[in-house]
Amino acid sequence: MRKSKMKLAGILLTALLLVLMSACGSGNNAQNNVTATSTDGSANNDKPVTLTMMVSGTKAPDGQDFVLDIMPKLVKEKFPNVTLETSKLPDEQYFTSIRTKLASGQGPDIFWVFPRNASLGVLDMAKAGYAADLSDLTFWDNISQGAKEDMSYEGKPYGIAGGLDYLGVYYNQDLFKKAGVDALPQDWPSFLEACQKLKDAGITPITLADKDPWFIQFGMYQIASNVVYPDEMDFDTKLQAGEKSLTDSKWVETISRMKELYDKGYVVKNSLGLGSAQAAQLFVDGKAGMIFDGTWDFATLTAKGASDFTRGFFSLPANDPGQPTYVSAATAAGFALNAKSDNLSVAKEVMNYLFDGQSDLFKAWVDSNNSISVYKGVPLNHDLFKDVNDSYLNDGKSVYFPNQMWPTGVAEEMETKFAEIIGGKKTTPEKVTEAMDAKFKELWKK
Amino acid sequence: MNSTVMKKTMYFFAVPALLFYCIFWIFPILKLFQYSITDFNGYAQNFKYVGLSNFKDLFEGGTLGNSIKNTLIYTAISVIAGNLIGLALALLLNQNIKGKGFYRSISYIPTLFSAIVVGFIWSYVYMPDSGMIATLFAKLGLPTDNLNFLGSYSSALYSIIFVEIWKNVGTTMIIFLAGLQTVPQDLLEAGKIDGCGTWKLLRFVKIPLLATSITINTTLSIINGLKAFDFPFIMTNGGPGDSTNTLIYSIYKMAFTEQMFGKASALGIISFFIIIVITAVTVLTMNKKEVSA
Repeated sequence: MRKSKMKLAGILLTALLLVLMSACGSGNNAQNNVTATSTDGSANNDKPVTLTMMVSGTKAPDGQDFVLDIMPKLVKEKFPNVTLETSKLPDEQYFTSIRTKLASGQGPDIFWVFPRNASLGVLDMAKAGYAADLSDLTFWDNISQGAKEDMSYEGKPYGIAGGLDYLGVYYNQDLFKKAGVDALPQDWPSFLEACQKLKDAGITPITLADKDPWFIQFGMYQIASNVVYPDEMDFDTKLQAGEKSLTDSKWVETISRMKELYDKGYVVKNSLGLGSAQAAQLFVDGKAGMIFDGTWDFATLTAKGASDFTRGFFSLPANDPGQPTYVSAATAAGFALNAKSDNLSVAKEVMNYLFDGQSDLFKAWVDSNNSISVYKGVPLNHDLFKDVNDSYLNDGKSVYFPNQMWPTGVAEEMETKFAEIIGGKKTTPEKVTEAMDAKFKELWKK
Repeated sequence: MNSTVMKKTMYFFAVPALLFYCIFWIFPILKLFQYSITDFNGYAQNFKYVGLSNFKDLFEGGTLGNSIKNTLIYTAISVIAGNLIGLALALLLNQNIKGKGFYRSISYIPTLFSAIVVGFIWSYVYMPDSGMIATLFAKLGLPTDNLNFLGSYSSALYSIIFVEIWKNVGTTMIIFLAGLQTVPQDLLEAGKIDGCGTWKLLRFVKIPLLATSITINTTLSIINGLKAFDFPFIMTNGGPGDSTNTLIYSIYKMAFTEQMFGKASALGIISFFIIIVITAVTVLTMNKKEVSA
């Protein structure tokens, strides 16, 4: 009697366990059932579909956030049966969590990818089979060719670029005037001269946030655009093929020019102790003449600080005298669709609606977008970028951000080693390039 | 046949817990060993087995040595200074002073904040020019030119260790305080009758009786120090350069920034053994020295 009771207990327990385990699994099953029916159908049939979407970034400081508030609402209006669940994470957290989600087969239907080879770049995502081929979307004619290419793998688009970003120099026109810098510098010597004038007038010429290592890229890539690439646009292709190396004298020169700014005392003292928010604060408070940053930080750098002044924006003229200045421009991150999702066709319809060029959703997207639009007919969003934008459109002299052609990790190595230079260690530009090259060779596998 | 203590069927009750333990704990650890000999990048499943080359790279490269060095400095200082300060605080707050409860609470408050909050606050305290310390120095008329705690190679590591101590000293103190309550009054009186002064009472009566607390505190801070990750992550990103890269931070960076999950797993295994060995040695030596009241 007792024995059988014990047995019963054992059996019950096992049963309970099985129920528990299957309960965990059934969440997926239920979802699959719903979605399975809608795979062949379109978003317009009545089966309820839940789409998930995850992007990186921070919530809009005031009012409605496009991704979090506006998009789910407008998608629901157009497709009553589609519920869009969106989330937004800061970059670092996004990188970590999206990779884990994709690898475990729990990836969101719509996610955010970066151009080419950047961290979480479209090439990696397409190669790993996570991003879907988007060739059959309807609006490709309206997206600029370059932006489409930057989001393509083997000739097919796998991501929809959010726009175009420029790296440049935000500057304080009032301080420039005060220091007697009348004309914008056109080449490297005149840029150094302008810095010297600012310094002599008791103004910190440049504020940089080197405590956030990635900030080092903002100056470095603009210099590289003018030193490494002008007469060798295919430098990175050769690099990948093993014909060139990052120890090339042109990269040494790039790093030396960046170093020059620190050696001559043009960069704010103790920049290694400043985070990006703090460095930006120095600029908006009128305590520094310039900051190297990208178009994406428009809102932060035009915020009202302790002093009122007129801002300007130009491409860092790291070119030699007599040479044109190249713009550092790159395709911004954008949407990709999960190739393994059962809701792929619905997600595609939502994308077609988002980029149809006339819907309220499209207009809201244009309004919220900080990048320069690559969509046909959309005007420039901020007048501040007009000069650089004109020179990009008219002269066609531009270079992408080098890290988009490197495997992730090389830029980080550059930042680590260059920080040693800033910190006054005996590291030479040659050593920096050697470390970058070693990292590149370790990570670049065909 | 049947045990007199427990029926065998009762073992079934351990199955759910055991299962969860295996799935969520043992299995991932074994996976780590598997990944450590692959070139897995963290998301693409088509990885290759590369033998021991991850370990070879690590031993040849500079990261391992540098991060072990930083971790050991971090641990040594936070253990020694943390315990000394904790003990001093405990002795102080064990006396009959006015507002004792208030002071005890104050010293414990930093422990209650999350590391993120503490790290963020201290980044602003340390900030050059307009941070709290710089402002204070300026008010006192001291030079603030070279105040760059987190941004200079020589001081960054020590600055975060200080924050680590500041945050954890409350716990250390509480454990010492609890230990001090167990010191029998009669032993102290006997000591006094025998002519011990304050120092001798401390040295020959209180501290030997606190041995258990010392073991607990040291072990806890050693584990804490060897696992150091939060403050380098929040306050310096391992920088400037790699001067505040600790073992765990290097693993994180390798896995999630450089996408070398395989190599990071290898480093994980190495640090796993380092932590086990150091902790075991300390606990064993300290256990031998304990006395009971």
